[in-house]
Amino acid sequence: MVMLLGSLQLGILYGMLALGIYITFRIMNVPDLTAEGSFTLGLALSAVLTIQGHPLLGLAAALPAGAAAGMVTGLLHTKLGIHPILSGILTMSGLYSVNLLAMGNSSNLSLINSTTIFKMASNLLPFLDKDIVKLLVALLFTAACTILLILFFKTHAGLCIRATGDNEAMVRASSIPVDQTKLSALALSNGIIALTGALIAQYQSFADINSGVGILVVGLASVIISEVLLNRRTLSGSLLAVLVGSIIYRFIIALATKYTFLPAYGLKLVSACIVALALALPALKKSLALRTARKEAQAYAAAETNL
Amino acid sequence: MLQLKQICKTFSPKTVNEHKALQQIDLTIHKGDFVTVVGSNGAGKSTLFNVICGNFFPDQGTILLDGKNITWMAEHKRASFIGRVFQDPMRGTAPNLTIEENLALAYSRSKRGPLHFALNKKDTAMFQESLAQYKMGLEDRMKTKVGLLSGGQRQVVTLLMCTLVPPKLLLLDEHTAALDPAASEKIMQITKEIVARHQLTTMMITHNLNAALQTGNRTIMMDSGKLILDISGKEREQLSLQDLLALYSSKSNKAFDNDRMLLT
Ligand SMILES: Nc1ncnc2c1ncn2[C@@H]1O[C@H](COP(=O)(O)OP(=O)(O)OP(=O)(O)O)[C@@H](O)[C@H]1O
Ligand SMILES: [Mg+2]
Repeated sequence: MVMLLGSLQLGILYGMLALGIYITFRIMNVPDLTAEGSFTLGLALSAVLTIQGHPLLGLAAALPAGAAAGMVTGLLHTKLGIHPILSGILTMSGLYSVNLLAMGNSSNLSLINSTTIFKMASNLLPFLDKDIVKLLVALLFTAACTILLILFFKTHAGLCIRATGDNEAMVRASSIPVDQTKLSALALSNGIIALTGALIAQYQSFADINSGVGILVVGLASVIISEVLLNRRTLSGSLLAVLVGSIIYRFIIALATKYTFLPAYGLKLVSACIVALALALPALKKSLALRTARKEAQAYAAAETNL
Repeated sequence: MLQLKQICKTFSPKTVNEHKALQQIDLTIHKGDFVTVVGSNGAGKSTLFNVICGNFFPDQGTILLDGKNITWMAEHKRASFIGRVFQDPMRGTAPNLTIEENLALAYSRSKRGPLHFALNKKDTAMFQESLAQYKMGLEDRMKTKVGLLSGGQRQVVTLLMCTLVPPKLLLLDEHTAALDPAASEKIMQITKEIVARHQLTTMMITHNLNAALQTGNRTIMMDSGKLILDISGKEREQLSLQDLLALYSSKSNKAFDNDRMLLT
């Protein structure tokens, strides 16, 4: 039960991260490594401000900070012509120093003695179990974020972003400035990812400079699990599916650590394998189909000659 | 209306691959002209279109549209008054967006703020009505992803996207060449209808010499980056296919490469 609840909380919180990654990976068609830096940026800002007694400000600050990080990547790519993946790597790398600076040059901070938004909510709702309150807070943020995103992608700006990932030349020919569209998509994605980091810091009452390492793969795994398991036709459906994917991912991880040989440090390897396997699925299916077809053809030919 | 003055474009200048794709092009197109553009492969027809719509800039020369100098204007800015349809049906539409979303994207350019809903009942009804005119059944498939349509259907959607807000200039680059003969015929018919309805100023590249002579009111011919023929009016009406081929050979001192020419 505890495990179930914990996974659900984490799955819902990290669902926001997965939404942010879905925007770059699936809608813009570029995996954006800025995510690893902007996640930690949000986490660091939130931790520092919470320790100073401003947990809400910590959350509020993460969003624009993450968006700014995304813009840096976007500018490197659109204005300076650097490959999009390399742009993300550069920003991520630079953010490491920024994040350390934000955390006052210490590689981890504890918020055990500070009031986080989760503790505030618990105080407001004393009649509810602490874990239930945590779940509600997570649900509140993720639901708001999802609804806003679903609405946003129905607006003109949202449609422009979707079309840019789909057919950039056509967007340009429709008199839409593609550079601005890319910048806003990266800002949106990284803003959401930083907000996730900010919530996670307060959720676990702990911030570590390396929290962002491998976070892109975690997000990708959630996105891909949702695509393999759930059939979705519309973008709104896909966004909701990504949340479910994130929850499923957390359950898989929880089960793997609880019931098997897997030590905690093996998690990243498992995530990477899940993503690699899921991405390889189409190619594997194809070669399997080819092999069966060939076998059948050979069997048929053999039967013919035997006649 | 559209004036090109002394346009030059050289690819890979000062290298062994130097190629003069456009040489001193002077061309004036009047409002309401429907110009067909012919010429052998590599003559520079697409390059001319690329320069007009800002895909790349000329090395030399000026482009005026309605008296305004647009030579250095960014491509996406020009796109608000220059519509373009390519040979490749994949190029003009976003495959993962539905028909109505593609149309809405083209229609809502510069109309409302970015945070307004892209689709509304009134616009969708208008799109549906416009599509219904072409009798391809597309009006009943507004929520279908464009990637699932045939090439011909996609070209109709692209044509409509370019003309929902009538552009000052419509550029068609062999937009029926990738289609089968029946679809090609149909799209050409629809093109004529659209151009006539909005009295659009149009330039159309084609390899079908018959279509070139029968469509529009003026024909220009290009060869090795130069304009070698520009005919309209009576002279054009009386011109036969054979005359056109003869004119080409005499002007360019070579026979028309008819590997891709449709002489029927
Ligand atoms: N971006 C480019 N870089 C280098 N060379 C180019 C470029 N675009 C076109 N060219 C060259 O310029 C010449 C003219 O090309 P263009 O595409 O304008 O021909 P075209 O008349 O449209 O021919 P086609 O009938 O085959 O479409 C060709 O020799 C081509 O190789
Ligand atoms: Mg061409």
